[in-house]
Amino acid sequence: MRRRTLIQSVAGLAAILPIPRVRAWAAGTAFPGAQEDTLRTLAATVLPSSLGTAGTNEVAAEFADWIAGYRAGAEMSPGYGTPRVRYKGISPAALFQRQLQALATGALASNDLAVRRQQLAVELERAGITDLSTVPRGEHVVADLMSFWFASPTAHDMAYQAAIGKDRCRTLEASAQMPTSLVKE
Amino acid sequence: MRRVETDVCIIGGGISAALLAEKLSEKAPQLSVVVVEAGRRLFDAENRLEYRRRSIAYDENQWPGDFIEDQGGEGVISRTMAVGGSAMHWQGHANRFSEEDLRLKSMYGLATDWPLSWSELEPWLGDAERRIGVAGEASPHREDARSSPYPMPPMPLTYNLERIKVWAEKAGLPFYGCPVARNTVPYDGRSQCKRCNTCTVCPTGARYSPDYTFKKLLTGRQIDLHDRVLIRRLVMHETRTDIVAAVGYHADRPGESVEYRARTFVLAAGYAWSPHLLLLSANSRFPNGLANRSDAVGRYMTGHRFTTANIELEEKLYPGMNAPYPLISRQHFRCAPSAPYARFDVQIFESESGRRPRLKGEGGKVLFGDDLLRDWSARAARGVARVRMYSDTHPSPDSRLTLDAGTRNRHGDPMPRIVHKLDAASEAREPATQAQIRSIYDAMARAGGGRVLSVSVADYQDHPAGGCRMGTDPASSVCDSYGRTHDHPNLFVVGAPTLPTGGCTNGTITFAGLTLRSADHLASTL
Repeated sequence: MRRRTLIQSVAGLAAILPIPRVRAWAAGTAFPGAQEDTLRTLAATVLPSSLGTAGTNEVAAEFADWIAGYRAGAEMSPGYGTPRVRYKGISPAALFQRQLQALATGALASNDLAVRRQQLAVELERAGITDLSTVPRGEHVVADLMSFWFASPTAHDMAYQAAIGKDRCRTLEASAQMPTSLVKE
Repeated sequence: MRRVETDVCIIGGGISAALLAEKLSEKAPQLSVVVVEAGRRLFDAENRLEYRRRSIAYDENQWPGDFIEDQGGEGVISRTMAVGGSAMHWQGHANRFSEEDLRLKSMYGLATDWPLSWSELEPWLGDAERRIGVAGEASPHREDARSSPYPMPPMPLTYNLERIKVWAEKAGLPFYGCPVARNTVPYDGRSQCKRCNTCTVCPTGARYSPDYTFKKLLTGRQIDLHDRVLIRRLVMHETRTDIVAAVGYHADRPGESVEYRARTFVLAAGYAWSPHLLLLSANSRFPNGLANRSDAVGRYMTGHRFTTANIELEEKLYPGMNAPYPLISRQHFRCAPSAPYARFDVQIFESESGRRPRLKGEGGKVLFGDDLLRDWSARAARGVARVRMYSDTHPSPDSRLTLDAGTRNRHGDPMPRIVHKLDAASEAREPATQAQIRSIYDAMARAGGGRVLSVSVADYQDHPAGGCRMGTDPASSVCDSYGRTHDHPNLFVVGAPTLPTGGCTNGTITFAGLTLRSADHLASTL
């Protein structure tokens, strides 16, 4: 077996493993690679403080896992009554890595949270990002990390201050109940 | 060339084909039945949880491989081409049409009457509901009387819908849970609904899809299913008008044709591909296409308008528990013959409209972290109801499916182009209909408390149908009430294409009921 074939086989095996970090490596993009700290800093800057450092680090890791699971060229959901087929674009890993690299010495260089946010706002304006999406679009790592987390059931529950469990399966009876409040007495 | 001989050749593999094949296998088990479907079979129910996950996370297709790349067209055409058809990603809304839909001409002087009475059709709707498995509760309107109960108890309302129902009924409209093809109890070997909030791909099998029927029929060896075979032409007898063959090609063997020879051919390929095949099959004696002496094939393409309002309520709701399940009111399903004509259903869904996280706050400032969450929470303090009305509109004869010479598949066949057009009466009354609909939105907001955030009218006909309309007059219709084409004694069309008009609510149960009636007729005459 040639060396490249062996590496591909091992990577292919790793890709089906349930361990996020191994899967991210197996995708071959090594996202976030050397920019892991930058991604963590970005998460701490754009996500709610109530998640805490451990929480924002976890979101950063989950986002890296999302990138690892991205399938370029996959068929996309069709629109209603739409006869055309659309496909996912190339993996945003390389673009995100370049953007993180630039952010590390730019918008995220300051130790001051307010300054970092101010500079990220400028960055987003410059990139023409006007809103978040329900699924990351692969346009900008800042907006896509935000979209990734703010579209999650956890964020949804935090916004509504209730244990809704969006998109989770439940019994018919359970859905008739008002979701449990998450407001601390 | 490969030849297949059978008693009945069903062309198309969607919900109509599934129910037709099932009924034929029960009523006439001596008949051999072959179902020919251009798309592939997606019998991998075990993967649907993962498809669902990737659809949510990545916006990937919930039904990978459910299409043929070059078999598309222009207009409102579902790209789904697979065993099970569009009903694979159907949400399962199982409303019935009503007597008015079948008697538009005689009651209102509009469009046309269907060539069968409500009492002839209604029992078959019950048959469809039993086979598919519909959960529902009786309508409060006596006109909606049923000859048989729903096979399953109704879907319980979610917390959100309970609150919305209280709110909406203050405007004087009675609402109840929409009948749906989702199991409220284990049914027909499939599990109870787990309200996964993604009914277009049901990971538990609680929502009916035709693959379950096909799998049962194949397990019992009651039919043959030839998937990935695209039928390109129907061939007529040299001197008579009966159809002798359907000729197609397997996706993996484009150089070798397959000829299906049958006593009876049934087109069950939906509103787009059924008229398309008839037009493609033109010959010297039928230069405008088969079954088309009337020139009605591909005409009267129908559906209905739909208008949507997002209405803010003065109380908090918790969207995300079961967005695809609505309340329904049929209060405006009827119209007094003396009143200006307007008929529509009213469906209400929980909604996140205007309640999603946003990057910029009111002043346009970019928001991050806690600020963004606070902005979201503040907007979520008041719930939103999505109120949708399907209003009855009728097609012009120029509402057409035609062959588009500019778009061809790999075989060189022109693909369909659909352009919907309303008849003059529908166009004329549309402003009054929309005004009435808006007055109801305003009344709901006023009576229940709240405000209308937005109103939009769709720019396409929803729940498309037609193209091979049924009728008693061979000069103006393609087939009779059983789907038998006027021009060819052994060629039938079933399901959506046979509808003369598209009603004012979801059509699947009506398509299915008509198909079962055709199947019963076929079984007794073959």
